[in-house]
Amino acid sequence: MADDKQKDSATGNFQDPLEDFEPKKYADALEKALAERTVAEIQSQPYASVFPDTPVAEAVEKLAGLHVACLLVEEEGKLIGVFSDRNVLDKVALEFDAFKDRHVREVMTENPVYVYETDSAAAALSVMAVSGYRHVPVVDVNQKLLGIVSPQRVAAFLREHAPQA
Amino acid sequence: MGLFENMSQEPVQTLNLRRPVVVKPNDTIRAAVESMRERRLGCAILVDKREHPVGMLTESMLTQLIAQNPEAIEQPVKEHAAENWPWVKLSDPILDVLEALEAKNVRFLCVVDDKGRLAGLTGQKGLMEYIADHFPHQVMVQRVGQAPYLHEREGA
Repeated sequence: MADDKQKDSATGNFQDPLEDFEPKKYADALEKALAERTVAEIQSQPYASVFPDTPVAEAVEKLAGLHVACLLVEEEGKLIGVFSDRNVLDKVALEFDAFKDRHVREVMTENPVYVYETDSAAAALSVMAVSGYRHVPVVDVNQKLLGIVSPQRVAAFLREHAPQA
Repeated sequence: MGLFENMSQEPVQTLNLRRPVVVKPNDTIRAAVESMRERRLGCAILVDKREHPVGMLTESMLTQLIAQNPEAIEQPVKEHAAENWPWVKLSDPILDVLEALEAKNVRFLCVVDDKGRLAGLTGQKGLMEYIADHFPHQVMVQRVGQAPYLHEREGA
């Protein structure tokens, strides 16, 4: 059989190895979009960020001023943490005077879960569900920060791709 | 049945609802924050005598408050909570959660019973969990932290 295929190839009769491949069937357009559309389509750009040595008070003001829930903490273009409303709640709000002049590095969430821009939309959504983080950074293969996926963007994506009732 | 049809037919009560943090109007924001921390929730709900939700204090409101006036942490919740917060009924379809989250641009939703009494809390995370249940493969392969995907670690 292998010899036959080689002969076919040599004579130009190409046999497509995927000719029997059946693409996955989805129950509806929403499932298809979640599985086949990529994170690149739902990420927010530009994203809001701070440096790790930014004072906590300045980072809180930036969160509030931009009306965003999450700042990416980057160092030389690489993601090293996130600082979010939840960090304010958990670490800063009750001890603001003690933390306001300290660095974001001390109160941020380190080693955040991220997705690649080529991951599926469902993967980003699963990170939110499994890890519990509502905002998921997006990086490229070189770990360079590209954007962020927020639940608002996911909700808009779901509405966009939901079949009309 | 597809995901959309499921969301159209299954009621909110099938979601993994959270037990909300309930505070009294005169409780301080500090007390509310302590309860939110303890329960690991991003909001606290004010209810009236009939147990109807009448207000919500969220972590994003807290950030605004801390940025503008950190001393306000000692003030009563009722002075800073948002009134008329969106809600869904236990019997409403899950699709209503998606519509409310997007239309009202909120992260949390009160869930009430047929008499309007507070019955639970849901929101963006609850909806994500529900949808992720439909994509078990994506959940299975999800890495934790910055470790690579499992199949990459094993060289498959």
